[in-house]
Amino acid sequence: MRIGIVCPYSFDVPGGVQNHVMDLAEALIGLGHEVSVLAPADEDSPLPPYVVSAGRAVPLPYNGSVARIAFGPVSTARVRRWIIRGDFDVLHVHEPLTLSLSMLAVLSARGPVVATFHTAMTRSRVLAAAQGVLQIVLERITARIAVSALARKVQVEHMDGGAVEIPNGVAVTKFAGVEPLPGWPGECAPGSGGTIGFLGRFTEARKGFPILRDAFVALAPHRPGLRLLVAGPGEPDDLFGRFPAELRDRVTFLGMVSEADKARMLRSLHLYVAPNTGGESFGMILTEALAAGTTVVASDLDAFRRVLDGGRAGRLFTTGDPVTLRDALVELLDDADQRAALTACGDQVVAHYDWPVVARRVLEVYAAAIEATDGRVIDQEWAGLGGPV
Amino acid sequence: MNSTAGWVLGTAVLVALVAAYLAWTAGRVQRLHTRAESAARALDAHLLRRAAAAAVLAEQRYGVELYAAARIALDAAPEEREAAENDLTRQLRGVELDPADPACEAVIAASRRLALARQVHTDLVRDARAARSRPLVRLLRMGRGREWPRYFDVDDPTLTVPGETPTGEGQGVPGRSR
Repeated sequence: MRIGIVCPYSFDVPGGVQNHVMDLAEALIGLGHEVSVLAPADEDSPLPPYVVSAGRAVPLPYNGSVARIAFGPVSTARVRRWIIRGDFDVLHVHEPLTLSLSMLAVLSARGPVVATFHTAMTRSRVLAAAQGVLQIVLERITARIAVSALARKVQVEHMDGGAVEIPNGVAVTKFAGVEPLPGWPGECAPGSGGTIGFLGRFTEARKGFPILRDAFVALAPHRPGLRLLVAGPGEPDDLFGRFPAELRDRVTFLGMVSEADKARMLRSLHLYVAPNTGGESFGMILTEALAAGTTVVASDLDAFRRVLDGGRAGRLFTTGDPVTLRDALVELLDDADQRAALTACGDQVVAHYDWPVVARRVLEVYAAAIEATDGRVIDQEWAGLGGPV
Repeated sequence: MNSTAGWVLGTAVLVALVAAYLAWTAGRVQRLHTRAESAARALDAHLLRRAAAAAVLAEQRYGVELYAAARIALDAAPEEREAAENDLTRQLRGVELDPADPACEAVIAASRRLALARQVHTDLVRDARAARSRPLVRLLRMGRGREWPRYFDVDDPTLTVPGETPTGEGQGVPGRSR
């Protein structure tokens, strides 16, 4: 199958959607399909061979984060050219309701279009006002995918349409069996030691870093050897300024990490903590931590609860509450058996999120979209769907 | 003189804009109808495939009741088809399906792809009907010559297979009246 994928956000900045697109493209290529990805990127940035740059992107605040997108006449021309040259069997756009390449691609497309919705946007005033415009975009989409139950719910309730729920995949092989960072995770015994970690924008309120900070500051003086490993964008001074002077040498900041180092970082932990307070539609990082074989402690959000199989594959704590988080940390750091039990269950859970498994389900949606466009049915073999999914 | 020319020009531009909008809307209505019809053909094909796969499985082992349900689904008249397909879904849910067996796997795969075809068809019919319900489209009878696209109102045919985690697909789309 010839597949064109459009990513709205720039590959210059790491992000959930960008990683999703890259992993999906690689999984589809691995299953024998021809894939071209269109995304905004700076001229000089190194890109995988299957990515076509649509030019530079401009930063724009969106949904509590900063997104870098491309939109305008030049982008439109590039999108059109890419679609014509690509001669795709199916066009797969991500987040088509943002002002982005994805929306441009939907409006320029003639054949079957599959759209993936990542965010669990609740109905905003902008959205309500633009309903007429959005309808034009939506009705050019043939099949819709939502990456989470929440994102699907928004589709059904606010966009007046259904969507197939296919979760985010995780490249299990990239995370399992990677060497930890040298010297980590170190000792962890009852009453002392242990390494806990956080990955993401610690400055962003909905990521919930202050909750982890409070729990760490409360716990560290009573637990010698407890260390905190933080990775993500931000200034070191800003991070260390949040901790009392005597605890700063027990906090390590890695800054931004590459995908490869992310896997190593997750392997360097006894506990990965996801203290998010909301706005997460899926919780990609949780499946990554599970794939790395690290025990997860996460806030009790719907999305997290689902990934962690209701708490069987990881520990849930009351969202926004540093006290229950601290108690969970103490209990799990003291109990290696319980950590092992959680990670064992995590292995089973994460197998369902492995990219080749997820990509086959996406291929079936492609087939459904193509069939709905020309009314004929595609054989399993032609679509490369193979055996059981 | 000058103001007359202005009026003429203004009116001409307005007429052109309205005409362009109407032409675009008419094209949109036609396009959405064509697509809903294609989706209906694809859905029909997937329904036949599932019934055929179920009939093969029934001949191999599960016998009369499943075979009868598959046969009825294959032969159902249009107005009885939804009930017949729902009955087949119920029959299939009642038998134990082993993904390792080719005949079972064929039924599971056909059901999964039918679920997708159903979802897509429902969405596209909804889009087409929404476009056709707009007052201007009704007033100018832009959809004339075409039947109103019809929903195919059946239960989600997805079969749960032991060992798979539920994904919430079974919640389905609330059925709409036709």
